[in-house]
Amino acid sequence: MTLLVIGDSGIARAITVAMRAGDRSVATVTDTAVFEKRDTAAAALAAAIDGAAITTVVFAHLDPSGFRTAAITELTEPAWDTACERSLRHAFVALQQVHALVADGTPIVLVLPNVGAVGVAGLVPLCSAVEGIRVMAKAMARRWGARGITVNTIEVELAAFILGDLGAEGAGTAVPEVPVLGSPALAPGSAVADVVGLIDLLASPEGRAVTGAFLMADRGTVMLP
Amino acid sequence: MTRMLDGRVVLVTGAAAGVGRGVAVAMGRAGAVVGIGVRRPEAATEVADEVREAGGVPVVLRCDVTDGAQSAAAIDQLVAQHGRLDALVHNAVSNRSSEPTDLETAELDLWEEHASVTVRATWRLAVQAHAHLRAAQGAYLLMTSPAGIEGSAPLPFYSAVKAAQRGFVRALAREWGPDHIRVNSIAPLAISPALENLRSTDPERVARIEGLVPLGRLGDPTEDIGPPSVFLCSPEARYVTGQTLVVSGGRFTSL
Repeated sequence: MTLLVIGDSGIARAITVAMRAGDRSVATVTDTAVFEKRDTAAAALAAAIDGAAITTVVFAHLDPSGFRTAAITELTEPAWDTACERSLRHAFVALQQVHALVADGTPIVLVLPNVGAVGVAGLVPLCSAVEGIRVMAKAMARRWGARGITVNTIEVELAAFILGDLGAEGAGTAVPEVPVLGSPALAPGSAVADVVGLIDLLASPEGRAVTGAFLMADRGTVMLP
Repeated sequence: MTRMLDGRVVLVTGAAAGVGRGVAVAMGRAGAVVGIGVRRPEAATEVADEVREAGGVPVVLRCDVTDGAQSAAAIDQLVAQHGRLDALVHNAVSNRSSEPTDLETAELDLWEEHASVTVRATWRLAVQAHAHLRAAQGAYLLMTSPAGIEGSAPLPFYSAVKAAQRGFVRALAREWGPDHIRVNSIAPLAISPALENLRSTDPERVARIEGLVPLGRLGDPTEDIGPPSVFLCSPEARYVTGQTLVVSGGRFTSL
């Protein structure tokens, strides 16, 4: 019984480490360039799974170029594509191919940063991609419910998405400051432990009626109306 | 609501039919110079007449929004003729936007059709119009969809690209706030040419759709979607930005 984690974000890596630390079998696809085409995506996913039964799928990927702060007027068309549209394309291709591979009843959980519902200046491509993927997941939830497949989205703080549990110095990756999102209501903790707990809940029998949902696991930073 | 846009210049993309046409006519009724952005100018004769009869000044512009040079030329022409651009309404969608999509087998080519019109052109038009909108302290209005909020099973690509527009609106409203450019979207439920056809071929289905609308009917592009569009493009909405206004006769109340 294997959990499949897709993506090369810090949170994807950290979820993999945390799950393996709990003696779970985890298959990963971290080379997201395979999602440029459907056939390479299908091959990469099949190779990662290697015939194992998949219990849960976690998709936690956005193109890292989206994390660079820039005014939209400064972007070239290729820069817009990599910062926004590539992430949307990859999500579609990856999840389409996941659907072809998994058994009925498999839960799918997307993990994204909490920027799309609020909007952040300088991160327009990223916010666009996140919202597009989040609602793409809802459409998938509606379509795949007949197979018992649930599709839900968890959103975490941007730094947690980029870094996982690493400090900025450890990852060597710049994290944009987003004061507009506000401060967390809860004390600092492990974003990875928090999101792993929610993934387990959504994948458990207790979570079987939850699909198309959007759960904030950002310690009360963004509280939507 | 009348003459709210006197002396102002607005460009509407996808203005040949449906919601775009209705919005263009409403803008004309409000007194605007209306750039009627269309892929085939010869198809815009009627809507230009309607804008003129409503009291506006129509300017038909060739504007396939997937062609960056063409959309830039359309904006330049409108500004050259009328000196300013106060509002840009990006309404155009892929011709295949209402076509049910089999997500499980869909090809990337179809995704590209949706993304090129609704995501890439949303960004490109913003960049091309930015200096003019800043000079006018104007507005950028996107026509999104309830599908971009709820997610639609038969229209998964349309849902995703329309949702991307909502993320774009929120973020760009913050980015352009210091420039005094407002960025908003409308999620309309309105009669479209496709629904008009359906009314003649499958009236029961249209009746079922209308039965889900508390106000008992689908919106009229000019009379129902036009006025809120005019408002959001006008100075009357000067403190409204980053918002999506759902104009659906109450069909969608939880968004």
